[in-house]
Amino acid sequence: MIDELMLRAADALSLLFPFDCMDFPFMRRAMLGLLLLAPLTAGTGIQVVNSRMAFFSDAIGHSAFAGVAIGLLLAWDPNVTMMLLAVAVGMAIMLLKRRSSLSTDTVIGVIFSAVVAFGLAIVSRDHGAARSAQTFLFGDILTVSGKDLTLIASLLLAFLIFQFMAYNRMLCIAVNPLLAAVHRVRTGFYQYGFAVLLSLTVILAVRTTGVLLVTALLIVPAAAARNFARNAAEMFWYTLILSIVSSAAGLILSAQDWMSTPAGATIVLCSFACFCFSYLWSAFFRPSRAADTDK
Amino acid sequence: MKEDESADAIVLDHVGIRMGETQILEDVCARVPSGGFTAIVGPNGAGKTSLTLAILGQLSYSGAITFPKSGGFPRFGFVPQKLQFDREMPMTVSDYLLAGIQRIPLFFGRSPKLVARIHEMLCELECEKLSDRRFGALSGGEIQRVLMAQALLRDPEILVLDEPTSGVDVKGGKICCELLKKIRLNRGFTQLMVSHDLATVSAHATHVICLNRTVRAQGDPGKVLTHRVLTETFGLHLGIPDLHNLPADAQTCESSCPYHHAAHSGSCSCGQHHISAAEEEKGAGHD
Repeated sequence: MIDELMLRAADALSLLFPFDCMDFPFMRRAMLGLLLLAPLTAGTGIQVVNSRMAFFSDAIGHSAFAGVAIGLLLAWDPNVTMMLLAVAVGMAIMLLKRRSSLSTDTVIGVIFSAVVAFGLAIVSRDHGAARSAQTFLFGDILTVSGKDLTLIASLLLAFLIFQFMAYNRMLCIAVNPLLAAVHRVRTGFYQYGFAVLLSLTVILAVRTTGVLLVTALLIVPAAAARNFARNAAEMFWYTLILSIVSSAAGLILSAQDWMSTPAGATIVLCSFACFCFSYLWSAFFRPSRAADTDK
Repeated sequence: MKEDESADAIVLDHVGIRMGETQILEDVCARVPSGGFTAIVGPNGAGKTSLTLAILGQLSYSGAITFPKSGGFPRFGFVPQKLQFDREMPMTVSDYLLAGIQRIPLFFGRSPKLVARIHEMLCELECEKLSDRRFGALSGGEIQRVLMAQALLRDPEILVLDEPTSGVDVKGGKICCELLKKIRLNRGFTQLMVSHDLATVSAHATHVICLNRTVRAQGDPGKVLTHRVLTETFGLHLGIPDLHNLPADAQTCESSCPYHHAAHSGSCSCGQHHISAAEEEKGAGHD
């Protein structure tokens, strides 16, 4: 029922994007998937950039291999095992980050290498798994189904509720977790909650750009927005706009005959173009930050 | 507000802190009187910050820490020594202060009531001009004042400051001590401050705890900060000005550094070579 609604919503997008390529149902589904995914990647991207967690999302993305491998080993749906493993990896990293005296980079590095090694070991023994692994390496948003769209929409709903509760508190935690904890911000709840949502977002985004580029989907729009934004509210809205614009532009451009490039890579290139523009704008037109410091 | 001395704000009962093989603190027994300004002094590595974190509930310890005045765990305001954060974060001072007290996400707007409260707080700390500045662009002293505003916005029962005047200029140090005294007396919270600066402590504190792995002495600064105690605590001879010999305005804390005042007027009690703990840090002394 909900899957059906999703497909109808996807069909309606052809009115919003009057391009020839949108005549194809798979393109409309892909567009809806990207438009649902963009607020997720934008919202998590802001917190990833603020809390310097780019390596964290990279580790989650790379756990996709091991997730698929476990699915094949247990004869379960790889999409389910992939999400379960991603959440487990995210929680494990957050647990060690909070409890261990090791630096965050070291903790992530240890878990990252373990899950990648496990995935590669299984994949190398199973040729079927090797083919699945390639899908996750480069991503393919054009194969998104009604069920996938429902899943992304559900995650988006959960994420919006979390953002409503946590956006301000996550800012405090990003500045200093200890100070936030003393001031009675429930740092554990917010950090673990964010780890779960980030893990699920990354794993769903892997379908779009693949493991290799998934982190770019999160951090490039947020990095570009930093060059425009003067305060926390602007940061949120600019990241959201840039994320939606580059996703839609990337998909449409990739389908043009003169481009014919993979959608995921084209989306990341569009984000990068936004970043370059924002950087140049910041360098030439924005009031000097040095002047701000000297005020 | 009259200071309530009937109950202690914090009681430390045989508190010990161990990190791995290292015993940071052992058998610490001390009290922090309610409504006053208690200073914890001691050299580097004495365990001052660790003790503070244990009191704040952020570090595990042995023994007992109780809060008789509050009954349960009190509402703390905390100003850390240094704040290491991403200075390029697009966030204004009022964004940061609002983030701690506003429920509705900042991207949906700001509550006029809370903005007014923040403005009032910044005015009280004489830094209202910082409101729309980017938080990451502030100097060390300005960040300290914003952190004080953040802590005070929580209407704390106990305000804990970890060396708030370190790395802050003379004016910043003066504001820290004088403004906080005014606000404390007005609101009646308990102030607990870790400090290196014996001059500031002797001029402003109402109770002092000398710490070096354990409590070396505690009580009224005028009685506790003797040459013997300071030598025992800091491991070398330190002197502090005899505040009774200072001009009246210095005794009432109008001077940001009574030690300098005393040194310049030659009114120091022991007449020996003196270094303040802050100067000891820099390895510099003056006669």
